[in-house]
Amino acid sequence: MRIPVLSAILALSATFSPVLGQSVRPDQCLECHQALGDPPVELFANDVHLQKGISCADCHGGDPTQEDMEESMSSKAGFRGVMKGDDISAVCGSCHSSTETMRRFGSRLSTDQFALLELSVHGQQGVSGEASILQCTSCHSAHGVVPVDHPSSRVYPLNIVATCSACHSNASYMQRYNPALPVDQLDKYRTSVHGKRNGKGDPNVAECASCHGGHDVRPAGDVKSRVYATNIPAMCAECHGDEGTMGPYGIATDQYEEFRQSVHGVALLEKADLAAPACNDCHGNHGAIPPGVASISKVCGTCHVLNADLFAQSPHELGFAELGLPECETCHGNHAIIAATDQLLGVDEEAVCSQCHSETDRPEGYAVAHMMRQLIDSLETETETAGLLIEEAEQKGMEVTEPKYKLREARQVRFESRTMVHSFDGEQFTEVVEKGLKTASDVKQEAAAAIGEYHYRRTGLGVATLIITILAISLYLYLRKIEKRPRERGHAGTSTQ
Amino acid sequence: MREIFKRAYDWIDERAKLGDLVDYMGKKYVPINRHSVWYYFGGVSLFLFIIQVVTGIMLLLYYKGSEELAFESIHFIMSKVEFGWLIRSIHSWAANLFILAAMIHMFSVFFTKSYRKPREMTWLTGMFMFFLALGFGFSGYLLPWNELAFFATKVGTDIAGALPFIGEPLLVFLRGGEDVTGATLSRFFGFHVAVLPGIFTVLLGIHLLLVQRQGMSEPIGEEGAEKGESKRMPFFPNFILRDLLLWLLVLNLLAILAVVFPWELGQKADLFASAPAGIKPEWYFLYMFQTLKYIPARVLIVDGEVLGVLVFALAGVLWTMVPFLDRKSQRGEKNKLIDYIGIFAVVYIVVFTILGWLF
Repeated sequence: MRIPVLSAILALSATFSPVLGQSVRPDQCLECHQALGDPPVELFANDVHLQKGISCADCHGGDPTQEDMEESMSSKAGFRGVMKGDDISAVCGSCHSSTETMRRFGSRLSTDQFALLELSVHGQQGVSGEASILQCTSCHSAHGVVPVDHPSSRVYPLNIVATCSACHSNASYMQRYNPALPVDQLDKYRTSVHGKRNGKGDPNVAECASCHGGHDVRPAGDVKSRVYATNIPAMCAECHGDEGTMGPYGIATDQYEEFRQSVHGVALLEKADLAAPACNDCHGNHGAIPPGVASISKVCGTCHVLNADLFAQSPHELGFAELGLPECETCHGNHAIIAATDQLLGVDEEAVCSQCHSETDRPEGYAVAHMMRQLIDSLETETETAGLLIEEAEQKGMEVTEPKYKLREARQVRFESRTMVHSFDGEQFTEVVEKGLKTASDVKQEAAAAIGEYHYRRTGLGVATLIITILAISLYLYLRKIEKRPRERGHAGTSTQ
Repeated sequence: MREIFKRAYDWIDERAKLGDLVDYMGKKYVPINRHSVWYYFGGVSLFLFIIQVVTGIMLLLYYKGSEELAFESIHFIMSKVEFGWLIRSIHSWAANLFILAAMIHMFSVFFTKSYRKPREMTWLTGMFMFFLALGFGFSGYLLPWNELAFFATKVGTDIAGALPFIGEPLLVFLRGGEDVTGATLSRFFGFHVAVLPGIFTVLLGIHLLLVQRQGMSEPIGEEGAEKGESKRMPFFPNFILRDLLLWLLVLNLLAILAVVFPWELGQKADLFASAPAGIKPEWYFLYMFQTLKYIPARVLIVDGEVLGVLVFALAGVLWTMVPFLDRKSQRGEKNKLIDYIGIFAVVYIVVFTILGWLF
């Protein structure tokens, strides 16, 4: 049924095609291969290339006007037959990399796909050593190519997951290229919100190519990769920062802006600190949440281990759970986490403790928060004062290596005490802070002693100078006396005899 | 009290015949002329050397000359030893003042042509002592084993290694191997506290003996003090006491420098760290260092650095041999050429030292 239609299309397109317009004779390739019942011919009926008037011979070579098989498929007629390896992509690229050719077919497709593919991880040489890992046809198929936005396209959002996983979920295949790469991405993806919606037929949620790119897929460790740590936030924001895309789902679009200004965002995006988290570190990569985490509210503890441990043993763990409050986020926020300062602690207006505790409401926590803030402020004042004294002693040229080293210990205790806040235990906290206060006090004493020593040295120098001056003057006077004496007697002290 | 001193003096005199010495000293005179002021710089150099010996011995009680402990031991001296900071600071400052005083002394002798017969040996011993003083400075600079010293030694020994024929073995000898390591430190420590002081003491003895035997030289055209024809002063006590007065002032200057500008210790040397920017040698090597920087990498067929080192070596040899080259002064005639050479040397050293300081 389809075959006559196919012939008619080819006949028509041969008439009007800018490439093939020389002949109106039927395409002998199709004529014969139809008769042979070759499956590619059937697939080719829906191919976008056929619709644009591109015939079998445009890719496979040969002369489609010749009825004689020997002549039409002769090497003289440029017959290439079934292409293998890089020859496949080269044939596709001969048109798809040419702006002129693509424009002639009325296509607005980008013409850099082939160049991007060559630079991508898939463009690397395969294990055979004879061709790249992937050819165009590996993803787009050969004879049934349809536009990417067509639901039957192999790279249509709902189909691409299966296309990619055909290789990426195949452990024996992947082992040949990257044994360290997991092969369970598809399974994990299906547990994520993206994967679930995709599975239900939503083509607008993220699939493989949305994050990894299409032709330009690079390893995650490549700084040019879309999924390189510092590129991830902007990549996610392509959808999550777009109101048009997020509107139907009722999801806010300010996460990226908030993240950029957060302590994590500044570290990752401005300081290029790869230890700082990107979106996926909290929200997971292919799966919904990172492995080993019960819920996203506990994800902070994967890096901030001590704080999470102390929190887990604190009275807040249960309290927050009963109130349905997330753990860290309640006090620190999520995307817009700013650097934690001592101001977060205490009972002032800007302190987060006062959001739940007051003198009348939960007063025990109020008292502990008040005491913790006082102690941590004292520690800060003491260490800063000690630091200033050390600086003064150093400026005076005094040797203060040891107290300077101790000062570092005192400052370290400040960090320790900030961690200890998460125990919300007054006694434990006091014990740590007092250790710091003691060290800061020692440093102050030693720095003050160095400054005292400086003044002692100056005084000593003054006294020594005075003694030397008296001696010098006495000597000078004595010299004058003995050099005058002979003159008084009629001789020169500095004699000429 | 006076009686006790007299009895003690008589006791020693009876055994050591001090009377002869006192008689000799009593008859010794120092000429007075418009160049007399320069006579004192020999004494100042001697005083500073004595200070170096005394403070050096005191530092030696605590210093440990090994790669692991050198820096730490100096740190200990400066922070824990009572007045250790002062001794170390005085030792460092006195080293620099010593070389400055020796330089002034050398130039004053040069300009007054005091190297003339019969004082050729005095000049020669003085020059050798001056070279040894530079050796003291170079070897002592490394001993704290700090970053600056480490790299300055590296650069300095590299320059010595650039000499043709003897360069390579000289470099290995100085460093105790191919690179500046703990072996270099041990070696420099040995040079600084044993080899150089030993040779220096012998030369100093000869130098002082000759000065005492020959008396002070008088500039050409101003002779006569020896015979009592021009003004002169007794060596003892006048000149000695004047010397002492100057020594007191120098001591005070040293104390001020040591207290107000304590010598810093810096960072411990790290053999694997890259050289910090602006590495420079001590000021007395700076003019040579700066000259080498200005010489092109190749001059005709000769390596620029080698050429520079050879020119300085030749200049040093000629300078040392000046008593034998300056025939005119030997005959008691004025030699303007020597004056011009001396002025050129002073201007060159001053200008290139300033350039080295600035750039």
